[in-house]
Amino acid sequence: MNWTQIGILYRRELRSALRERTIVVNGILIPIFMYPIMLWAVFTGMTFVQGINDGFVSRLAVDGPPPAAHSMLLDTIRGHERIQVREDAADPSVWDAQLAAGELDAIVSFRPIDAGALDDNFAVAVLYDRAEERSRQARERVRRLVDDYRTDWIAGRAESLDVDEAERTVFVLVGENVSSSEDIGQLLLGQMLSFFLVIMVALGCFIPSVDTTAGERERSTWETLMTVSASRSSIVTAKYLYVVTLGMVAGLLNVVAMMISMGAIVRPLLQANDEAIAFSIPLMAAPVMLAGATALALFFGAAMMILAAFARSFKDGQAMVTPVYWLVFIPILLGDQTDVNLSLGTALIPIANITMMIRDAIQGVFLWQWIGLTLAVTMALVVACLLLARQILKFEDFLMGSFDGSFWRFAKEKLFA
Amino acid sequence: MTDMSQATVRVSDLRKTFYDESRGEVHAVDGLSFDCHPGEVFGLLGANGAGKTTTLRMLSTVLKPSGGTASVMGHDIERDPEAVRRSLGFYSASTALYPRLTARETIEFFTRINGYPAERVQQRVEELVDRFGIAEYQKGRVDKLSSGMKQKVSIARTMAHDPPVLIFDEPTVGLDVMNALAMVKVIRELKEEGKTIIFSSHIMSEVEKLCDRIGIVHRGKLLALGTLDELRAVTGEHYLEDVFLDYVKRAEGIVGEAEIGPAGALHAAGDELPDRSP
Amino acid sequence: MTGTLFRNELRMVFRDTRTVLIAVVAPLVLFPLFIFITNFVEERESARLDSATYEFAVTGERSAWADDIVRTALNLDTAGLAIAPASFDRVMTQNADSLLEAGDLHVLVVGRDAVPGDSVAADVPVLELRFRASSDFSRNARNRMEERLLAVRTQLRDSVFQAAGFPVALDEVVVFESDNVASAEKEAGSFLGGVLVPFLILLMLSGGSIVAADSISGEKERGTLETLLTTASSRRDIVNAKLGAIMAVGLAVGLVNIANIGVYIGLGILDLPETLRIGIGVDTLLILLLLTIPLVVMVGAALLLLSGVSNSYKEYQIYFLPLFLVFLLPSMAAFLPGVELSSAIAFVPISGLAVATRALLMGDWHWIWGAIALGSTGAAGWLLLQRTEAALSNERLITSAGADEVEFRGGAALFPREVLTWFVGFWVVFFVVSLWFGEALGVRGQVLVNLWVIFLGGSILLIRRYGLDVRETLQLYAPHWRAWPAVIIGAPSALVLAIGLFGLVNRYLFPVPESLLESFGQSLTADISLWQLIIFVTIMPGVLEEIAFRGVLLSGLRKHLKKPWLAVLVSAAIFGVFHVSLFRIVPTAFLGVVLALVVVRTGSIFPAMLWHFLNNFLAVVPQEMGWIVIDQMEGVGTVWYALAVVGATASWLMMANRSGQLPPEPAGRPTKP
Repeated sequence: MNWTQIGILYRRELRSALRERTIVVNGILIPIFMYPIMLWAVFTGMTFVQGINDGFVSRLAVDGPPPAAHSMLLDTIRGHERIQVREDAADPSVWDAQLAAGELDAIVSFRPIDAGALDDNFAVAVLYDRAEERSRQARERVRRLVDDYRTDWIAGRAESLDVDEAERTVFVLVGENVSSSEDIGQLLLGQMLSFFLVIMVALGCFIPSVDTTAGERERSTWETLMTVSASRSSIVTAKYLYVVTLGMVAGLLNVVAMMISMGAIVRPLLQANDEAIAFSIPLMAAPVMLAGATALALFFGAAMMILAAFARSFKDGQAMVTPVYWLVFIPILLGDQTDVNLSLGTALIPIANITMMIRDAIQGVFLWQWIGLTLAVTMALVVACLLLARQILKFEDFLMGSFDGSFWRFAKEKLFA
Repeated sequence: MTDMSQATVRVSDLRKTFYDESRGEVHAVDGLSFDCHPGEVFGLLGANGAGKTTTLRMLSTVLKPSGGTASVMGHDIERDPEAVRRSLGFYSASTALYPRLTARETIEFFTRINGYPAERVQQRVEELVDRFGIAEYQKGRVDKLSSGMKQKVSIARTMAHDPPVLIFDEPTVGLDVMNALAMVKVIRELKEEGKTIIFSSHIMSEVEKLCDRIGIVHRGKLLALGTLDELRAVTGEHYLEDVFLDYVKRAEGIVGEAEIGPAGALHAAGDELPDRSP
Repeated sequence: MTGTLFRNELRMVFRDTRTVLIAVVAPLVLFPLFIFITNFVEERESARLDSATYEFAVTGERSAWADDIVRTALNLDTAGLAIAPASFDRVMTQNADSLLEAGDLHVLVVGRDAVPGDSVAADVPVLELRFRASSDFSRNARNRMEERLLAVRTQLRDSVFQAAGFPVALDEVVVFESDNVASAEKEAGSFLGGVLVPFLILLMLSGGSIVAADSISGEKERGTLETLLTTASSRRDIVNAKLGAIMAVGLAVGLVNIANIGVYIGLGILDLPETLRIGIGVDTLLILLLLTIPLVVMVGAALLLLSGVSNSYKEYQIYFLPLFLVFLLPSMAAFLPGVELSSAIAFVPISGLAVATRALLMGDWHWIWGAIALGSTGAAGWLLLQRTEAALSNERLITSAGADEVEFRGGAALFPREVLTWFVGFWVVFFVVSLWFGEALGVRGQVLVNLWVIFLGGSILLIRRYGLDVRETLQLYAPHWRAWPAVIIGAPSALVLAIGLFGLVNRYLFPVPESLLESFGQSLTADISLWQLIIFVTIMPGVLEEIAFRGVLLSGLRKHLKKPWLAVLVSAAIFGVFHVSLFRIVPTAFLGVVLALVVVRTGSIFPAMLWHFLNNFLAVVPQEMGWIVIDQMEGVGTVWYALAVVGATASWLMMANRSGQLPPEPAGRPTKP
């Protein structure tokens, strides 16, 4: 290993990567611009939907008045600024058809109830069309009006029965959240960021690992490179370090961009609902995340390069690596369960353990012995991959692009033969 | 003098200008004129970047000329590009084959796509397979073939529809001696069959051996046009290499010395040199 | 000939076994695996929350009373009540709050007297449930405890009333009941109609991409494109054959995936909602097929175009993700409530089809509007095909020359072509700055950054970079004197019309939640004095926004788009988009149209500056000072609109007509010698 040479080769890889549009766009521009714009689109969509919903005027047909003692209820319904009682719809026989055609949103009728000794009791029956949003909303508006009316009516009745307010309230139930707004923010961030960090590191390693191996072979620069005086292992080490660097940078950049954008867009939304939320992560979580991202990048970089190195073209390389990328989701899903924590057992499951480790760190939980075990397990995998890579590099025909461009063919012929 | 009625390819004052960020405004082809005739091999001789490929690409209608006109079998390259392409076969190092088709499928595809009568396609494919000795590997996929085999398939696909005009743009680039010789042999045969052949190269010996008439192209301009003997007579050199260098030097001299020098012999080369049909 | 090309395309796709395997077979295996795992995780979570034993404690000055109620609540007979199962375990402790903090308690019940903050009568006792929102368990403990306590309260209330002589339980009074008249088919149609188009697009995009990624871009990369272009086939034939292949493979992949889902539903791996009942008649099915045709064509054409403009397989991949979003987002239109087929949405490609599909499946099909939706998407697909054909004729496919004449010459001649790209870039910077640093900057800071750094700085950057003629670009010419009175009359008139337009937009296009309007009004003018308001909101935008939008942008667009009216509209649309909030885009774009017309009409930017200043001044200052009050929702009276129309017309007529006077073309050498 000649580290001077590796340094030179590494810088060359990085320089040409930064001049490569695919890598720059995927790794840097997308995180910076896509999240804010996508979040904005979602926010705008929500505003739009809310606006439409608020703006609906519910068109009702009312069948007959309620019992005379309750005529107030009909007045309240008529008085609601977003309810229009269709006085022109005089002929009840066509209402059903109008409701089905969407010309009416709901049909309200009053049915007397003979309940005990209560005079004039009745039920408000609403016919609506659940498949239509405006119809659902009409029903909801009527329901709220009826509920309010009932409460008021009961209050009035209570006075005549001489039941005072304290008696009829019985007690008031209030909820009090003792978590700080930072805790809630960390709960959300822990779940989202751990997930995204792993995926983004994998994605960040993806294109560079294919490009620097299969891509080089396709551009026929592979052989040029193999003829320079540096040793093969120096060349491969430089490439490996370059893939790892990009994977890490992509992962961390994405996470930072997401955190800032989410904070900027989610916070005002929640504040509108009087829910305080603060997006910040504990200081100690930063080194843990960095260590996690590094370990992941080392692992993904090695695994993806081994597979892609056999391919003869970028496209083939991509086809080889894509399944690995998909498989990454499985441990992430497992590791993202809120109740499963790092323990002797779970720290042994690769990738899932790092997801949990990062989630815990963001939420302020640091189980150092299991963090150590997690990193050790990942590093053991990395070492295994590197040993395999060293074995592979010994084969001359690998360099020439044999084995039909497939790692599996190679494994069948050389490793297990 | 030239029998104009026989000309199958006519090029008159053809021009093409490119704009390139690193090289600036490039007049890749700068007023080229020549005619070609059946049973003739017309050679375009020039260094790399002289404008040969650009000229031939315009003839095959892949590029549009910036000025001037040309026609193939009477079809104008701008007005009737599809008819032009039907009547010519274009072979160059940059026209690759589909890697996932077999040799036979490739030939069949190009026979059909160029509008060969459907009922005679199989017969034609058989002919070509026989002629180029492709039979033994006709079921093999192109990406598995050796470069010599690929070359044969390429030539076969170029002449799949039996076009009257064939363009070979640097056909021997990257071929070994045996394959290059085979290529030269094919071109000779085609000439015997009465095809019009345009052949471009920067390899003197090939041009010397093959071409009935030679056009020397330099920086997009035609410096000379004539048979090898005529060119020899003008320059007084024997080897084509020397003839070529002589022209180029004089052309550069004109440019460099502000139109002093033996301009008369060279200026507007096409007018000065006898332009005869074979 | 197209047939030969088409067969050839398909043959090559199927021989690329590795890609086909990865793109088609792998998802078939992985899809159920993901579903299985997600289901497993979800079931585990809910089982865990149901089976957990929640630790609670009771404290407070009325803890004995609270204890009674909690005990009743936990012994409640939950049969017949909609209450989730849970078991609770009481912890006896002195320091309950710290236990809750540490996570050893899930919920703490505090019985106490009311305090002023509770906003209830002083003699009403309060039960407070303390929990930690950052813990699933704690949130659940609180919810499940709350359900039980509420049920107890209902019972206690009923007994209080009954003791006082009230004859029935309280929830038997004025009963609310509702009945759903929608058939199961209609509800299923509303669900299916919503998901069908996005799903189809998703499948078409991923399936068609197998072919498209390798189609034109792949041929370019392998060098077979030149071979193909020198054959006798026409560009149109090539485009058609490739489009056919993309559609065929896309549809095939789609069908395989749908069949796959069918199998998993059959095997019970995937659950369908129980109420889902599908009843589609033959006629509905036929219309549905008819609707999918333009969709499939358009998606295929877009993929082919993408392939045509990319130079390699890799480049295709970069552009694919944005394309994916561009198609998927509008297809979600059917999920927007209240969007009906018989509206402007039918004219929007994809969105129109999405809404039409839902309408069809819900039984609201309308032939005329359906045809418009079909036509709009079909037309968009046709346009894309034209573009692809043009892309195939582009010489840059073949030659290495990276530029055409204008690009090569650069400078002022290149500016019109690139001005839009620059403004997109400005928008992104503008957007990210306001999003990330908006809060830190405050309103004034944001105004300063936007106006001075982005608008003015960007304008100066462009003028310098392209060496533009400042006077001509910014239209720094003296207008005819009549322009000034025209502005004085025109600006208030246009403002009144804008208010009317806002009302219309709000009613028919984008209803704005009132809360949002209010908060916007507050944020704009919060604690800013009058003179600051005049400087920041009227004078500075009047000058600087005009320089950027009606100066640099409009001049570039007028040269690039040739037609002045198009330049006016596009510049206005961009001006609108720079005001981010959806509800401000349309009114701002309207102002953009007006101001651009003023510049085109008077041949000078100064009247537009005055107009912009007056507009902002009149829109903000009188209301802010409380001189007049205009309800933006209600608008103003009809008389005012009539006066405004008269005023605007007069203004238009008074402005000297100089619209025919385009700035002279920069002198350049002719293309052909």
